[in-house]
Amino acid sequence: MKIKHLRIIPVLLFAALGYAQEQPQDYKKRVLETTEVDFLSSYYSQDGNNAAVSGGIGTEELTDFTATLVISIPLNDDDVLSIDAGVSAYTSASSSNVDPFDGGQAADPFIASSGSSKADTWANLTGVYSHSSEDRNDIWTAKLSVSSEYDYFSAGVGGSYTKLFNEKNTELSINGNAYIDTWNVIYPSELRPFENGREGLSNSLFTQNTITGNSNYNPSFTEIDNDGRNSYSLGFGFSQILSPKLQGSLLLDFVQQDGLLSTPFQRVYFSDVADSFIDNFQLADDIERLPDSRFKVAVGGRLNYYIDETFTVRTYYRYYFDDWGITSHTASVEVPIKITDKFTLYPSYRFYNQTAADYFAPYEQHLSTSEYYTSDYDLSKYNANQFGIGVTYTDIFTKFHIWKIGLKSIDLKFNQYDRDSGLSASIISAGFKFVMD
Amino acid sequence: MIKKFIIMACIASFFSSCVVVKEYGKVNINDPDMILADKKSERYITTFHSYREAAVGANGGKTGGGCGCN
Repeated sequence: MKIKHLRIIPVLLFAALGYAQEQPQDYKKRVLETTEVDFLSSYYSQDGNNAAVSGGIGTEELTDFTATLVISIPLNDDDVLSIDAGVSAYTSASSSNVDPFDGGQAADPFIASSGSSKADTWANLTGVYSHSSEDRNDIWTAKLSVSSEYDYFSAGVGGSYTKLFNEKNTELSINGNAYIDTWNVIYPSELRPFENGREGLSNSLFTQNTITGNSNYNPSFTEIDNDGRNSYSLGFGFSQILSPKLQGSLLLDFVQQDGLLSTPFQRVYFSDVADSFIDNFQLADDIERLPDSRFKVAVGGRLNYYIDETFTVRTYYRYYFDDWGITSHTASVEVPIKITDKFTLYPSYRFYNQTAADYFAPYEQHLSTSEYYTSDYDLSKYNANQFGIGVTYTDIFTKFHIWKIGLKSIDLKFNQYDRDSGLSASIISAGFKFVMD
Repeated sequence: MIKKFIIMACIASFFSSCVVVKEYGKVNINDPDMILADKKSERYITTFHSYREAAVGANGGKTGGGCGCN
């Protein structure tokens, strides 16, 4: 009797399977199964001796700590809302020398001042809404963002459309972004008395300090009449699965910027103007002057190859040029190594080079007769090498819990960046991914 | 001329080598390390590059907004 009953079971199973196959498929995999929370953080430090604030000489020492929370919420099967909120707090020796005459010590471009510009906080809020079609072959996103710091405010809007086809082997995308920014214009402290209608050399800065060198300090300074900066970008993407172990992508971005593209507190010293000093600090001949428009083009590609269960190779290359005369090459390679089912190592190397902008010259090498000039070494010619090592811990079962949130992964990465022009920087970044039960 | 030819040849070979990999054959392609983008935790590295370097774009990072002046 019992055996008879057992024989019925496979019959019932096959019948159930057949019934299930005949039913319309009403189950649809959600784009995002559950709410995800990413906590990201970084600590950045740099040093060098070519500060743009002091005209191409002086300390570039800077530290920056950043923390960001990204929450991705599935609104339904097809739609996801991501909220991204971040703060960044920095201290900068070169920014402190926007006003080096704080009275605490002798002014010197290689020594940080204790003025209020030595530190600032940047805050950012971004919202992204994403919608996917029923067959997941069409994806639309819309983005709004705002960010603010003491001397700068930025508002951005953007969107993208992605089309997948060829059984999701091929992907085409287009994206556009616009940022409307506003400066709170701040000039080097010794130039402020020469703004329209102000007292010039009668200012207490000059009456209470002794000007050495050329004592008849008379900078060729005029105020900036435009405090806005607009950036518009249009990007195209194409990605393709080339084999079961190889896939690549091509990216093309166009960026147009208009408005105040120079930084108003960055000094310039002319070779044909006599030098004036207070203490050891050379007084500005003028601020950086740059064209009010810039067009940038970047084309890049990625190629990733899955070697085996242990090794993967990730490569990237980009060519960039703009109408300020800069061309650049970027190349990087990363080789993720799965050392266990939970830990992966990420050694990486990145090479970057660029030519100088047409308007760049080092300290004291510009002529006052030029229309545009800068001594910002970020616009100079240089090569840079970056070495990185990272480790990722992944627990797909999210065993470790805090309340109803399970820890899915931890990323830690260290990068060392060195320019052949002298700047050296390091950054430690961390990312914690949590998923809601 | 040679440069253009090389670029065109690369693009042509990129397209012509396409094969359709079925969903069940994408187990390696779907590995998290095969993603054609940077990890979220690498966004600060991309941001610092956009501050310290002239080149931006074609990497999925931000292409505008903010002064990048420190």
